[in-house]
Amino acid sequence: MSHPTPTAPAETGERRHFLAWVSSFALAGSAIISALANFVFLKPRATYGAPSRFSIGRPDAFPSGARIAIEQRRICVAREGNQVAVISTTCTHLGCIIGVADTGFACPCHGSRYDQDGNVTAGPAPSPLPWYQVKLAPNGDLEVDTNIQIKPGTYLNI
Amino acid sequence: MSANTKVTPRENVWRDLPRNLWSSIFRHPLPSSELGQAQTSFTNFFLHIHPVKVNRHTLKATYTFGLGLISLFLFIALTVSGVLLMFYYVPSTTQAYDRMLDLRGSVAFGTFLRNMHRWGAHAMVAAVFLHMCRVFLTGSYKKPREFNWVLGVVLFLLTMFSSFTGYLLPWDQLAFWAITVGTAIAGYAPFVGDKIKFLMLGDTQVGQEALLRFYVLHVVVLPMVMTLMIALHFWRIRKDGGLSRPPEADIAPGTEAMSVQVIASPAPKQSFGLMGIVRGPFTKVGNVPENTVSAWPHLLMAELLVFVLTIAVLLVVSLLFHAPLEEPVNVMHPPNPAKAPWYFLGLQELVSYSAFWGGVGIPGIEVLLLILAPYLERKPGGTGRWFAKERLLPNTLFVTFAVVNIILIIIGTLFRGPNWEFVLPW
Repeated sequence: MSHPTPTAPAETGERRHFLAWVSSFALAGSAIISALANFVFLKPRATYGAPSRFSIGRPDAFPSGARIAIEQRRICVAREGNQVAVISTTCTHLGCIIGVADTGFACPCHGSRYDQDGNVTAGPAPSPLPWYQVKLAPNGDLEVDTNIQIKPGTYLNI
Repeated sequence: MSANTKVTPRENVWRDLPRNLWSSIFRHPLPSSELGQAQTSFTNFFLHIHPVKVNRHTLKATYTFGLGLISLFLFIALTVSGVLLMFYYVPSTTQAYDRMLDLRGSVAFGTFLRNMHRWGAHAMVAAVFLHMCRVFLTGSYKKPREFNWVLGVVLFLLTMFSSFTGYLLPWDQLAFWAITVGTAIAGYAPFVGDKIKFLMLGDTQVGQEALLRFYVLHVVVLPMVMTLMIALHFWRIRKDGGLSRPPEADIAPGTEAMSVQVIASPAPKQSFGLMGIVRGPFTKVGNVPENTVSAWPHLLMAELLVFVLTIAVLLVVSLLFHAPLEEPVNVMHPPNPAKAPWYFLGLQELVSYSAFWGGVGIPGIEVLLLILAPYLERKPGGTGRWFAKERLLPNTLFVTFAVVNIILIIIGTLFRGPNWEFVLPW
């Protein structure tokens, strides 16, 4: 059996160049994907801190017209007649806990002020306070989900 | 064995043991000749980072002010004191603060080590910044040192990040709110801000996950990366021909400048001799008089002096001033005003005007400009001299940026009181 005709040098070079390019691409790609996998690993799927969905008790606990802050949960529960809403009390400026004031909310860290609905009225805060989803659970408790923000001004009718 | 073979007498083994031991460790006696001086750099592992000869200009204290060395020695002091502190520290929200009190109350030298670590960290941020100013204002980043400048900028950022991650570990009010504010600033980055913040904290708020993450970054990840970067930084100093200096510094005083023409020989095709690989400013051709001195003892003595001064100042400061420790974390009661670490207070001051521009836009542009500076300023000349006339524009720009940042930090640190309102510090 005769040997196959040796390929022309130029052709060999081209093929080698192509193979080198493809394998470098594959290696570099694998390296980048492996590196990115670290971020997937580092992003916790479950957090150990406070849960984002929790019960805040019966609606009766919040009398009409009251604005009751639950500092532990970083929320404020506002009730107007039959309507209930939950507003965040984490300052949108730099994450301090804000207090309930006569005119709305006031941040003790850098002086941001918000009105009753969480709109910025003074200070460095860049955006209004988010409103969180609140639902009536089957057992009659109010259930808040701080992962779900709703349109400010949306109340839950009870 | 034949009778006339000389047998070393038995007692000589013991008599010579110390000398044999010594000479097996140290290959040469203390140098008494130029050859010996050269051998120190060649044969000693710890000294081989040095060149054999060093230019006189490099040793001028008013040229470098030893700022790079001060940064290195502070890094070493921080590593040593940090490792010692690790023996008593627990990165847990329930224990960390108690361990701080234990350092104060029941650990020998505990307060002192914590002071050293705290003040050393502040000093290192300042020293690295001043080192960067020196390199810029002497035009030292010009070709061929562009990339070493980039490494330096990365080291500066790593230094700040190391200091920032360490800030949380005492788990007192200062730590908690500084990190709350600092990570909130990071959260202003467009698109990825919230994700970065979540990745850094491991949660939506500063808590146990954040403490553990900051601890791992602070004691393992960042020091390892920094050690590698420092090694690269030093390696490149040597390969770029030592510290930058003006061209006239290469001519020995009392000799006339003579031009040496290096005729490039065609590159060898198969194998390379040493001279085929060696290139650049450290190739010495012919018998040109050099303006150099031996690294041993001149460079070593200079380094030793900087080392002793750095450590002495750190020790005295650590004996006189105590690292702050506030009340334990109280998530319900932020201090008024809540302040980030001082080197981020310039940013916090800007954030109080515009969240995006202060937290991300301006610092991002500044870092980008710093990294690109040697690639933007391509005009040769002015290297190796402070405030060279040819570099008036870049120097003016840099000084302006630096002064504005320093003023913002001073305003944020001293002139901002409750509600971030303007107050006078006196």
